[in-house]
Amino acid sequence: MSQIIRAFRPTVDKDKCVKCGNCQTYCPEGTVMLRDGEEVVFDYRFCKGCGVCANECPVDAISMVKEA
Amino acid sequence: MSFTRMMEGNEAAAWGARLSRAEVVPAYPITPQTEVISHIATFIAEGKMKAQYIKVEGEHTAMAAAVGASVAGARVFTASASQGIAYMEEALWMPPGRRLPIVMCMVNRALAPIGGLRPDHNDSLMQRDNGWIQLYCENSQEVLDTIIMAYRIGEDRRVYLPVASCYDGYFVSATATPTTVPDQVEVDEFLPPYVHEMYSLMPETYRPRPFEMNIAKARYEVQQAHERAKVVIEEVDVEYSKRFSRGYDGLLEEYACDDVDAVLMTMGSMTGTARDVVDEMQASGKRIGLLKLRGFRPFPTEELQGLAKRFHAIGVVDRNTSYGSAGGGIVSMEVARALYPLEDRPLLLNFHVGLGGSDVTMRQIGYMADKTLEAVETGRVEKAVDWVELVDLGEVM
Amino acid sequence: MEINRQFDEYYENSYIQGGTACCPGCGGPLFWRMTLEALGPKTIIYGDGPCAYCAIRNIKLPNFGIHFSFVADGSTGILAALAAKGREDITVVSSGGDGAIGDISFGKVSAAAERNENMIQICVDNEAYMNTGIQKSGLTPFGAWTTTTPLGKETPKKEIPLIIAQHRVPYVATTSVAYPRDLQAKLKKASGIQGFKYLHTVIPCPTGWRFDPAKSVEVVRLGVETWVWPLYEIEGGVLRVTLKPKQRPVEDYLKAQNRFRHLSDDQIKFIQSETDTRRQRLLENDGKRIIL
Repeated sequence: MSQIIRAFRPTVDKDKCVKCGNCQTYCPEGTVMLRDGEEVVFDYRFCKGCGVCANECPVDAISMVKEA
Repeated sequence: MSFTRMMEGNEAAAWGARLSRAEVVPAYPITPQTEVISHIATFIAEGKMKAQYIKVEGEHTAMAAAVGASVAGARVFTASASQGIAYMEEALWMPPGRRLPIVMCMVNRALAPIGGLRPDHNDSLMQRDNGWIQLYCENSQEVLDTIIMAYRIGEDRRVYLPVASCYDGYFVSATATPTTVPDQVEVDEFLPPYVHEMYSLMPETYRPRPFEMNIAKARYEVQQAHERAKVVIEEVDVEYSKRFSRGYDGLLEEYACDDVDAVLMTMGSMTGTARDVVDEMQASGKRIGLLKLRGFRPFPTEELQGLAKRFHAIGVVDRNTSYGSAGGGIVSMEVARALYPLEDRPLLLNFHVGLGGSDVTMRQIGYMADKTLEAVETGRVEKAVDWVELVDLGEVM
Repeated sequence: MEINRQFDEYYENSYIQGGTACCPGCGGPLFWRMTLEALGPKTIIYGDGPCAYCAIRNIKLPNFGIHFSFVADGSTGILAALAAKGREDITVVSSGGDGAIGDISFGKVSAAAERNENMIQICVDNEAYMNTGIQKSGLTPFGAWTTTTPLGKETPKKEIPLIIAQHRVPYVATTSVAYPRDLQAKLKKASGIQGFKYLHTVIPCPTGWRFDPAKSVEVVRLGVETWVWPLYEIEGGVLRVTLKPKQRPVEDYLKAQNRFRHLSDDQIKFIQSETDTRRQRLLENDGKRIIL
């Protein structure tokens, strides 16, 4: 089973998030979900850490942090 | 209703496709195949044949369209020749590797340069490595019958390989001989509808093609299909001859070989002429017989090894060239490999004749037969590879 | 883990499995996710050839491909088989990259258009042969760096949408992953039309265009806003510009990608004037018949 290796992973600041869904819409891999229209979650099994979600967030709620 | 009349090879091929109820026909014209597709167009226009006729813009596309249609579950028929076969070469590797039972006519025509419009066998033989089954037909009747049998062979679940019905341009494609067209109902009973068990492209039943990661294993499977095809081709031939009173002895036919010292081996339309020559020679006491090589792929190695014990010499006739080869033409090299393991091998002579579609005359066949018999007498081969057309035999005919 | 199970359920309802072999930030999987959502399950996808295939491999709908020299060919055969079987309810999508459609399969696409084959032909245009390591194609824009045009491409990009429109096909459109509603509306429209439909879409390529993958969607948005990538459709020969953004200078788009880093001021001026002309022509002909 091949593994995805990332340099950065996305994290979301729930207080800043306005639940617009941009991150879910624009994630190239479809690994960002605005679950029940309420909470942004990431599938770290398949996320590549490209950063598009963070770039498209209108309120800068998503940050790319270095992988441990 | 079955009927018999004079018919050219290309029209017979069109009838073969029509009776087989081909569902998709990608069509592109090239001499000497063009009448195949124009007859089919007429059949469809007259409402006598129900098929999707795709007027493609080139042979490369024709074979790709054939592959797409076959994967999507349709019975496909197409035809080409010479430069067209060369142009579709890239696509020709798809059907055997993907196990698609497409049937096509390869109407033999010499390849450019040093070629022309007349027939020799390099265009189809050039495809010998990619896994297509190749059956060589002697006349219009055989073309028609072979196409119907080809679908049975290719679509057999033990096989799932594409089949090429090869026949000489002009000498077969455009020469009218008496041809019996079998009854559609009888053909329907012989040839059930096409169903591919390995995969489906329909959304409801989508089954992707099983992907074999091990390349050697995947190729070995295609090779095994060819081995099984040897059996299937014989079976289908027997069943066809029972039903339609015409059979072709599968991959290899013996003609007048009962009490002979040597044989000639021919492929394609020259076999018809060779039969007459052999009859004449036997009438004057010469002990020469004839082997008709019908199936070039799969090559009938075991069958040939069994027969070869009875002859002291075999003269293989190659209507093709393979520059720089290990020795001679393509068929003779296959025969040499087949006979090599035998302890008691017949002498092997190789003749190049009819290149570029020049007529193969009775005199030339007589010459080749005489040379083969000479080898039996002297116990050795004077000329391993004989370019017959460069020998002055006096008056042609 | 609960979250994994929820994602698995989410993928169940999606026609493409997340986690493709594409580069991070590639617009390809994004395009397919949006497209398949618009088309629905009764779809067969035909397409092969490098970059596109990395995403197509993850598609769960029936798909099949040969090589990129066979764009529109196999799908022509598939359509014939479906017609023979009476299955005209299935949408056939044929997909090819810019190298395929602009170069090696150019004749194939033209022929399929001439035959008015009932397929949606998609061009996923990342403006070079990317899978072989960034080589120039007929659809590489003027001035772009590639490994075979290290000093910048000397010739302009082929205008495939207009060429195809002149074949008198019922529908041609340009789309972008930065404008998903526009993209999905055009796809839905195309799937309801009989005949040959051509959709040309720009696929951002961080690897070949040389920019930070995070900017992927932003770069194509800039392309549209600068009118380098105008969004329009041609239906029955009549042009309709579907988005008329306030024009930004091309420099904004060019400076965002290192493949244009070496451009001189003169070259940028040239690109600006070409883009201005394009915008002008499109706006002049908006609502009018644009083919002969």
